[in-house]
Amino acid sequence: INVCTQRSTRYLSAISAARGLHKSALDVAERPAPEETVTSSFGRFIQSVQPRHLSPTVLQRSKRMVLDSIGVGLLGSTTDVFELALQHCQHMYAPDDVSFVYGRQGVKLSPTLAAFVNGVAAHSMDFDDTWHPATHPSGAVLPALLAISDMFHNDSKPSGLDFLTAFNVGIEIQGWLMRFSNEAHNIPKRFHPPSVVGTMGSAAACARLLSLDRNQCSNALAIAASLAGAPMANAATQSKPLHIGNASRLGLEAALLASRGLEASPLVLDAVPGVAGFSAFYEDYAPNPITSLEEHEHSFLIETQDIAFKRFPAHLGMHWIADAAAVVHKTLAGLKGGSISPNQVQEILLRVPLSKYINRPFPETEHQARHSFQFNACTALLDGEVTVQSFHPEALQRPELLALLSRVRVEHPHDNPANFNIMYGEVEVTLVSGDVLRGRCDTFYGHWRNPLSQESLQKKFRSNAGAVLSNERVERLIEAVEGLDHLDDCKPLLAQLQ
Amino acid sequence: MPLGSFTESFGAAVSCLSTSHLTDEVIRRSKRMILDTLGVGLLGTSTPVFNTVLQCSQQALENSKVWGRPGLSLPPQYAAFVNGVAVHSMDFDDTWHPATHPSGAVLPAVLALAETLPVKPSGLELLLAFNVGIEVQGRLLRFSKEAHNIPKRFHPPAVVGVMGSAAATAKLLGLPAAQSIAALAIACSSAGAPMANAATQTKPLHMGNAARGGLEATRLALLSLEGNTQILDLESGFGAFYPDYVPHPLAEVTPTSHYRWVLEDQNIAQKRFPAHLGMHWVADAAIEARAKFLDKCPNADLSQIKKITLRVPTSRYVDCPLPVSEHQARHSFQFNCCTALLDGEVTIETFSKSHMNRSALKEMLLKVQLENPQDNHSSFEKMYCEIAVETTQGEMFTARCNTFYGHWRKPLSHEDLVRKFRANASTVLSAEVVEGIIYTVDHLDTNQDCSMLWSYMHFNKHMMHRDECRSSQCNASLLNRSTFE
Repeated sequence: INVCTQRSTRYLSAISAARGLHKSALDVAERPAPEETVTSSFGRFIQSVQPRHLSPTVLQRSKRMVLDSIGVGLLGSTTDVFELALQHCQHMYAPDDVSFVYGRQGVKLSPTLAAFVNGVAAHSMDFDDTWHPATHPSGAVLPALLAISDMFHNDSKPSGLDFLTAFNVGIEIQGWLMRFSNEAHNIPKRFHPPSVVGTMGSAAACARLLSLDRNQCSNALAIAASLAGAPMANAATQSKPLHIGNASRLGLEAALLASRGLEASPLVLDAVPGVAGFSAFYEDYAPNPITSLEEHEHSFLIETQDIAFKRFPAHLGMHWIADAAAVVHKTLAGLKGGSISPNQVQEILLRVPLSKYINRPFPETEHQARHSFQFNACTALLDGEVTVQSFHPEALQRPELLALLSRVRVEHPHDNPANFNIMYGEVEVTLVSGDVLRGRCDTFYGHWRNPLSQESLQKKFRSNAGAVLSNERVERLIEAVEGLDHLDDCKPLLAQLQ
Repeated sequence: MPLGSFTESFGAAVSCLSTSHLTDEVIRRSKRMILDTLGVGLLGTSTPVFNTVLQCSQQALENSKVWGRPGLSLPPQYAAFVNGVAVHSMDFDDTWHPATHPSGAVLPAVLALAETLPVKPSGLELLLAFNVGIEVQGRLLRFSKEAHNIPKRFHPPAVVGVMGSAAATAKLLGLPAAQSIAALAIACSSAGAPMANAATQTKPLHMGNAARGGLEATRLALLSLEGNTQILDLESGFGAFYPDYVPHPLAEVTPTSHYRWVLEDQNIAQKRFPAHLGMHWVADAAIEARAKFLDKCPNADLSQIKKITLRVPTSRYVDCPLPVSEHQARHSFQFNCCTALLDGEVTIETFSKSHMNRSALKEMLLKVQLENPQDNHSSFEKMYCEIAVETTQGEMFTARCNTFYGHWRKPLSHEDLVRKFRANASTVLSAEVVEGIIYTVDHLDTNQDCSMLWSYMHFNKHMMHRDECRSSQCNASLLNRSTFE
């Protein structure tokens, strides 16, 4: 199946038509070569080029470059910034690793790498929380804070409240930054939000936990900006989880570098014409200052804008369509008594927002399946729900599922914008008998408008954590988090994760 | 609102928010978030992607040498990081057209990786990998018209540099095409840093991170991590960094075909002094004007200068009338102009505190005015600099520089390039080692074993690690042999 390739060829034609490309370039774009994408041509080049292809000119010029580069590098090794970066790395990547790794008892890594791998774990199945405007805020912040906490001496671990403060600073900063852009309020198309605001949030949280002064905090944010930004194209691939891992790790690095005195742009969050700062990541960037704590009561954004927790590991948009399909499943099961057979179904119509990266008729990997309206709708139609197991390899390949997938059509109603605050999901199933069954979901259970109960949240936690930890540890973790604001130090929390 | 106040307000908030600001609802909601995140994290440890990154982070590969620090090694990505920072730390590294600093993102990564390989690459293989890294950068830059101008939004080394590093390291490892693509895709998620950090101490990290990120991407690809296989085709992929992205496939390469490298058609600029490329036009023009002035009035006092007009392209981040830090000074038309007028040259010393604080210099800075003529394009291919110096006597001295010495249209001679190298390298290395590197690089394409290269980089004439004392004596004898053979 080369649906994706065909789509990209059509894509290229669309772009070229819109930009009035020179004709020869158009020829290149539209020549039917289903295997050859620009990307694959690069891969092929890298692999197939040989020394013999180096001409004398190229040899001569490149040797000059090598020589010059080495020289400036040696000279540069005498600079302050080099010394700073070196000390940072020596400290961070020392042989004695201190920070825990989720689900790997006894394994330790350096703090930044622990933040990295634990962040990857948090987003590995797209099961982590989602906010409005859209991002996954906690996965970028929590791993970094936990990693730093491991760095503190046993006698001076942060208190539960300090930890919670730092955590909330990290969340708050993300919320503030996203409100600087109207574009950020919609499902993203260009940069993956956790890689943009998540890095900044992590830097802020770490700066807070490390008690940096305000200049250092500003610098931490500015340094983090140079580490932010990953394109959307890697969503729905195995690399997506690294966006959160890197956000966590790089924000932590930024804070540590700032603590060593590294300085960056004092205008990084301001909108300076002709020199982009954080504004580089948005088309419409209009910043506002955070009101001074001395002058005003500070109200955290999480107070007025709650968060969504997922009930199954897939992109947030899938939750609407799954709930809508579940309604139809229930009706169908009631009508026909028991299991659903694809033979009963003539057509499935989905009414969903327009968003390319979650519109996948025939997903091939688990990552694609987690980002497919069609897949999640059909799974819920068949099973009445979507679960962790729905994305296992056997489940992806079920013949009944594939049969249903081939009957799906997608519509994008004008009143269904790609916005997690406003969107809805509608499933309309036409049976061969002629009956039409409909299901609609405006607010799925778990959305901020209809939050998971504490029982449901704990049930999800027990099921997840119980996959790798003993029941005892699982319960102790629940207890530790529940009582976090009362802990003198967060050792009880860390202990269960070591 | 005064400039800088948004950023400041964030710094203040982050620093001042305390436990007393947490309300009950905030505490409740955030505890729920923490619980949920821990749970999904624990579950996630059973996934392949988690296992891949864990392996990558734990891998006890041999460490790679840090330049100029005998006895110090780091895991290869971090060696690439710090060495990359070194290369760009003074803005002394090469510049290309379309604009980027290509070598600094590639060389540190390639050397760091080569060092860890059980079978060391030949000099030619090293050169091939290096050139693949340069070529990929050149090709990618040509996918956007905007990339042809002096950047305003993203700093190019952070965008194309990391891709070049990924390509070069993938090549060095001999990865098959599919894995090279994965390396590029993974690297793309690490690309991009905003221009605002140019002219600050953080700018060199853009280079270091490019080198590191590309190497890391390759290592992850080697462990079978996958990304979007169409990363270079999509607007939502590499296209995210440009408003006008039009990609083209690379020409096919067969074992017998001729390959047309970008470097063949488009040479590189190498700097004569450590400052942003735009400063080189300004310096050459100012030096010429100064010569005319002194020619006419041999005993003239430069304080007789009443007004200096600089006609330069519009580029906000190098328009800095009164730089405070060395980083700002390297990115200041005005500063480089006045230094050149005062001293007749711009050198490494120019950016030291003592030189920057001279009162004569500061006085002259106040006399500079910038103009941005319409025909002076913000492009390193097209820009020029015109200077008009007006004296108190009413005389006017003008000069214009279209192509400075070192620009790709007027490249440094081999002698001058080697002279620059000697001057730089000998701040850290002994004369023997300096000559050793010159020799090794010169013969890189014929050398079977180039491991001397990173060994040489590991010396420092001002310090000696005690473990290195014995080995450096051995190396010295090797040096004698190789230098004079």
